[in-house]
Amino acid sequence: MTLATSQPLEILAEGRAPYHPVDPDGFREWVREHKSRAMVSKLMSEKEAVERFVADGDYVTYECNYLTRGPNLVLNEIMRQGRKNLWIAGKFTYVDVGLLVGAGCVSKVDTGFFLATPAVKKALAEGTLELYEYSNVVMSMRLEAGAQGIPFIPIRSFGGTDGFEYSGAKLIRDPYTGLATVIIPALNPDVAIVHVQQADQFGNARVFGTGISDVPAALASRKVIVSAEEIISTDEIRSNPGATSIPYWCVDAVVEAPFGSYPGTVPGYYASDPAAVMECFAAVLRGDVQAYLDKWIYGVQSHTELLEKNVGVAKLLDMKKRETIKEGFRA
Amino acid sequence: MTRAEAFSDREVAMCTVGRLIEDGKTYWAAGGGTPLYSVLLGKKLYAPDAQYVTEDGVIAPIPMLPFEPMMSMVASRATYKALSWGTMNTAGYFAQLGFMDYGILNTLQVDKHGNINSTFLGEYGHGGRRMHGPGGADTIAACCWRTILITDQEKRKFVEKVDFISSPGFLDGSEGARERAGLPRGTGPWRVVTPWAMYDYQDRRLRLMARVPWVTVEQILDETECKPLVAAEVQVLEPPTEEELQLLRTELDVRGQTSDAAGGWIIWDGEQYTRQAAG
Repeated sequence: MTLATSQPLEILAEGRAPYHPVDPDGFREWVREHKSRAMVSKLMSEKEAVERFVADGDYVTYECNYLTRGPNLVLNEIMRQGRKNLWIAGKFTYVDVGLLVGAGCVSKVDTGFFLATPAVKKALAEGTLELYEYSNVVMSMRLEAGAQGIPFIPIRSFGGTDGFEYSGAKLIRDPYTGLATVIIPALNPDVAIVHVQQADQFGNARVFGTGISDVPAALASRKVIVSAEEIISTDEIRSNPGATSIPYWCVDAVVEAPFGSYPGTVPGYYASDPAAVMECFAAVLRGDVQAYLDKWIYGVQSHTELLEKNVGVAKLLDMKKRETIKEGFRA
Repeated sequence: MTRAEAFSDREVAMCTVGRLIEDGKTYWAAGGGTPLYSVLLGKKLYAPDAQYVTEDGVIAPIPMLPFEPMMSMVASRATYKALSWGTMNTAGYFAQLGFMDYGILNTLQVDKHGNINSTFLGEYGHGGRRMHGPGGADTIAACCWRTILITDQEKRKFVEKVDFISSPGFLDGSEGARERAGLPRGTGPWRVVTPWAMYDYQDRRLRLMARVPWVTVEQILDETECKPLVAAEVQVLEPPTEEELQLLRTELDVRGQTSDAAGGWIIWDGEQYTRQAAG
């Protein structure tokens, strides 16, 4: 057995980007004051959820992306209500950041991965958008630290990159090993938006399939909006407690959202609508976001109206039929 | 194995990487395009006991092919019959723990020390061209034991020094540079594969080790801005087989999005292969 010898902790290098404030005690106090432990129904429309829980200037994280189990109906509602100056956790995103930026909702992105669309490039050139550089896993590890209520987390990646320089990371000499080790700031967003397969009215939620950081995002965020394909009974939740991914006390709003990820897919529930996905890609990549927003978001009052007016029952039924794989996506 | 009569540049690269796949090893493949198709090709034809993960934390799926267009992660077909469904965090944990033998990535720009740029072309923040960022590639390049990189053989893609290090190679090339930056010991770039060539590293410096029969070493060096070392004996790679191409075209890249039919093509003229540049 080697006797442990401690080494002096030393900061070797620091990234220079601003980062969302780290305040574990402040978060605890928020939880104490705002997170209801009572089993009260949180069912509401996406309109009410965004009105109550997404404010201008908020730091917002959302799970997955516009193509796969994304909380598209809530993202659409944020654009419809014209939120401004949001700071987005751009991990594993795709077309969605291009849409949100094109809609004028976003002034900062911690990225990750996103499509550098004409709207994004224009906002960067005009100075209305700032990017801070991380990677997908680094962002999900920041949420992991936020979910543990700790101020930072050491990771074995990210060192030596130029992203490090434009991030909130630091390189320290770790006092336990004496090795150079990267630490990254915990992320406690103002808002997390998670689309799940099933939830009860209180917010006990079940995520099936792979994911990015659904659970850490829900634990780490001050305000949590869960949208669910199906609302199920609490008896059903209690019949299989191991299937509960997110417990109710984390959750502030529950939105019943069948086809809530349209035009994307929800694994086990429905396949995507490829034509609408292509339309979205084309609009975002060609810099024609406004016409897309007019048709799909501003031109309708709600997700239900979007499905009714722009999609129709026949297409929705077809999407359901084409999702032939069910195994593992039900409790 | 049957001689293939005609195939695209990109198909060559995927077949070359597919033959590197080994039984009993683990692969973290970037979630779509050439990396995922290469590992699936290798698994189906040569190494059925190779296992792979993607960034969404899926472990060893038996995907229902072909994938839906533009959807290779989280979607049900891609994660079908996996041994385990995890998250991006768990994928990161397994890589940090040392479970990932190989990472497979593609990129737009690489330098002589294997550093990868997927963030910015030009001087960062001053004009230039913004790109999509590292995604999960940064963690793959940092924590998998060995990294395999796939890219096209073009001058502007092989540079002396990348404009922006999105994902780490051997950094400045000095011994221990990765460890000094906080990365795990004993990891780093291993191979770079293009439609024309395969490279390895000697003392953390890119080295041309193999070429396809239809191009010369000189042609390859002409399409490499940073001058790589050249192995004393440059090996000749086997061309794709009909079996490999059949699999790629009917089960993997069925829409031809990745194979880039508009790029260069290689034709068997009865005696030898000749390459026709993109129209």
